[in-house]
Amino acid sequence: MSARPPVTPAGPAPVRIDVDHVSRWFGNVVAVNDVSFTVGPGITGLLGPNGAGKSTLLHVMSGFLKPSAGAVRIGDEPAWLNPGMFRRVGLVPEREATYGFLTGREFVRLAAKLQQLPDPEAAAARAIATVEMGEAQDRATGGYSKGMKQRIKVAAAIVHDPQVLVLDEPFNGMDPRQRLHLMDLLREMAAAGRTILFSSHILEEVERLADSVLVIVAGRLAASGNFREIRRLMTDRPHTFRIRSSNNRELGAAMLAQPSVSGIELDDGAMSVRVADFRGFTRALPKVARDRQVTLLEVAPSDESLESVFSYLVRR
Amino acid sequence: MNADIVKLTLRQLAGRRRTAFMVLVALLPAALAVAFRAGGEAGPAEWTSTRLLGGMVVTMLLPLASLVFGTAILGSEVEDGTAVYLLARPIPRREILLSKLGVAWLLTAAYVVPSAAIGGAIAFQGAEGWGPMLAGFVVAILAGSLAYCTVFAFLSLLTGRAFIAGLLYVFIWEGLVTGLFAGTRLLSIRHAALGLAGFVGDASPDVFDPDLGGPTAVFILALATAVAGWLAVRKLQRFEIGESG
Amino acid sequence: MPPGTEHAGSIYDLGYRPYDGPRLGRRHAVRTVYVESLRAAYGLGRRGASKVIPITLLVIGLLPAAVHLGIAAASRQDVDIVKPEDYSSFIEMIIALFVAAQAPELAGRDQRNRTLSLYFSRAIERRDYALAKLGALVSAMLVLTLVPQTVLFVGNAFTTTSALDYLRDEAPDIPRVLASSLLISGFCASVALAIASRTSRRAYATGGIIALFVMSAAIGGILDATVGRYGIMLSLFDLMTGATYWIFSAGHEYEVPTGLMFAAVVAITAVSVALVLRRYERIPA
Repeated sequence: MSARPPVTPAGPAPVRIDVDHVSRWFGNVVAVNDVSFTVGPGITGLLGPNGAGKSTLLHVMSGFLKPSAGAVRIGDEPAWLNPGMFRRVGLVPEREATYGFLTGREFVRLAAKLQQLPDPEAAAARAIATVEMGEAQDRATGGYSKGMKQRIKVAAAIVHDPQVLVLDEPFNGMDPRQRLHLMDLLREMAAAGRTILFSSHILEEVERLADSVLVIVAGRLAASGNFREIRRLMTDRPHTFRIRSSNNRELGAAMLAQPSVSGIELDDGAMSVRVADFRGFTRALPKVARDRQVTLLEVAPSDESLESVFSYLVRR
Repeated sequence: MNADIVKLTLRQLAGRRRTAFMVLVALLPAALAVAFRAGGEAGPAEWTSTRLLGGMVVTMLLPLASLVFGTAILGSEVEDGTAVYLLARPIPRREILLSKLGVAWLLTAAYVVPSAAIGGAIAFQGAEGWGPMLAGFVVAILAGSLAYCTVFAFLSLLTGRAFIAGLLYVFIWEGLVTGLFAGTRLLSIRHAALGLAGFVGDASPDVFDPDLGGPTAVFILALATAVAGWLAVRKLQRFEIGESG
Repeated sequence: MPPGTEHAGSIYDLGYRPYDGPRLGRRHAVRTVYVESLRAAYGLGRRGASKVIPITLLVIGLLPAAVHLGIAAASRQDVDIVKPEDYSSFIEMIIALFVAAQAPELAGRDQRNRTLSLYFSRAIERRDYALAKLGALVSAMLVLTLVPQTVLFVGNAFTTTSALDYLRDEAPDIPRVLASSLLISGFCASVALAIASRTSRRAYATGGIIALFVMSAAIGGILDATVGRYGIMLSLFDLMTGATYWIFSAGHEYEVPTGLMFAAVVAITAVSVALVLRRYERIPA
């Protein structure tokens, strides 16, 4: 099926989301800590480990949590205490539950009616076709698989062709084909000037889809901007390597003289090398080892997990 | 009122097991009335108004039915997270609340009024001036169910354990406390509803003698409905989704 | 994996080792379910909001004893307002609300979260689980019924003119208080659990339990006044009171033999326990 919403590049003016010094705390726990950014047209990924505050931030942005400090504006409207903004905003919540007794078609049609669309029937049919749920549309949503529920939720969120689409972990439970399909759909909407924001804890999803990313760690904005640029910053950061060799002491002394190395610590049997310039180090190490006749037994990065990348970005 | 929300809510509440159980309970007053007639006891006016309608229908059936429907219209949706599909739409929250509340009121009244009317009509036979008295109870049930449903709907937005909290209000506050301290009857929907029934039905005090007078009762019911309704709308406007994540 | 690239498969030794120490076994597992359920019945180890309702009910259940002792202390003479055999009928509504509120808490949570299969795949068996839950609710009810009785008894001993005389006179009541509390606790807990174990929806279970107690009392009362004296046997509250009077051999106003009411309580308890066990034998997990 190839029916897609008629994508009109000359749609209404693009809408930006402005997050201005937003914090949100629950009792003593700070879930979002003084975050500011602006999201414009195109696809933006909100990336962060589980529990980083992604959902809290999305809820604040969609008016389902009051910011403890700061404010969110969607276009020229506030997000808090303003359900009217949903004329231009579509929301795909993370929780799986749907009204289990409604069929897929009824569920999307209800959304269309609540949006006060002139022809809810046609709008629902179009949205359902867009997510390729035509075959299952007359079955009760209670019997849907995870991926089907996810797609029918997307259909309900895009039924009014919103200028802004916010999705909380949209790829959860989808199989690879459905995942690619939703990615295509989001790309098309973005190409038509829509503002799309989705959250994910999976780096690869964000990398494949997002034009720009927001990295959130422990409630704070750790990085933002173009994905490749952030990737480069991550690669260029100081690394730490664990090295074992036939003669740690001699190799260490020689490496310390290299400009790419900023420090060395020796402990029994291994040494850990702090590297300022990744590329320079990778070129220098084999050369130095060969010159000194030292056999390298092990070279391993000691801080390569995503969390360590995040924590580095936060510490900076 | 929003027709789509009304329709949705009606479908949400149409659980078969619950409906069957509640229909059985609704038949109780009629069954008891038949038993009373079969017993051939004297004093149908007093028994029917004070014990059957006042003692059972208004003090138990009415608050329990209101509690079931009043907490169900929003409570389960909030619990399983589907509320977001209504709230993430450009519809004033007042409209959502009033539509849902209307359904709760409608169902409670549709449930309690026939039960009271049938039971009352059977048991009242032979009593003098029972028509107006029964009408008084019907009016009291209509006003009382609106007040109860509104209060319980607000409660369900406030806490996940609204049902048991409502039971505590009905049985501890209205059942025990108002029996011990007369002044607390001013904060009781049950006593206001009974007062309204006596006032509208123009019952003779030696047959049915509620604690509150008509104007006080009307004022209390109106105030409870208005305040709880305003608070519920306010709470729904400031509705926040789960604190996890 | 893209074609053309080749990787030998490997499994890394992450240092996981099977547990080969001693296992505490089924008995310990059952006791753990019992203890944790008993704590849950009063919201211990849960957040503050879960404590509010059980603790409130426990406190209200103490009020008759407190009022009695207050009057006794103020009047400086022996008073006989609240007698031990009447206590459970004073707080019958509290008792019903407690099981209506907390039985779904014990039985529903594991069904709602679909964690029953985790229990049944351990050393614990279905019957063990059901009995542990039942035992926990009975124990929680014993706390609710015995604490006020203890306060009343000790308080009476202290406020009376001669504590020793009081103890000598009232000592025979102690086993009766224990027996009647155990009977009422077992009765309410098993009836409530028989209902609560049937649904994972808390509101349904709570509503069903309270409706059973309250409606049966209403029907029993009205039938008793109209159709015949055995109508009162339909009221769970009156059955509890009658059975208690039978244990105390106390005077009463019931027109049916209290021994019969006692027998009815025992029979309903037995049927309810059987229903609970049957439910957990068959529940899909």
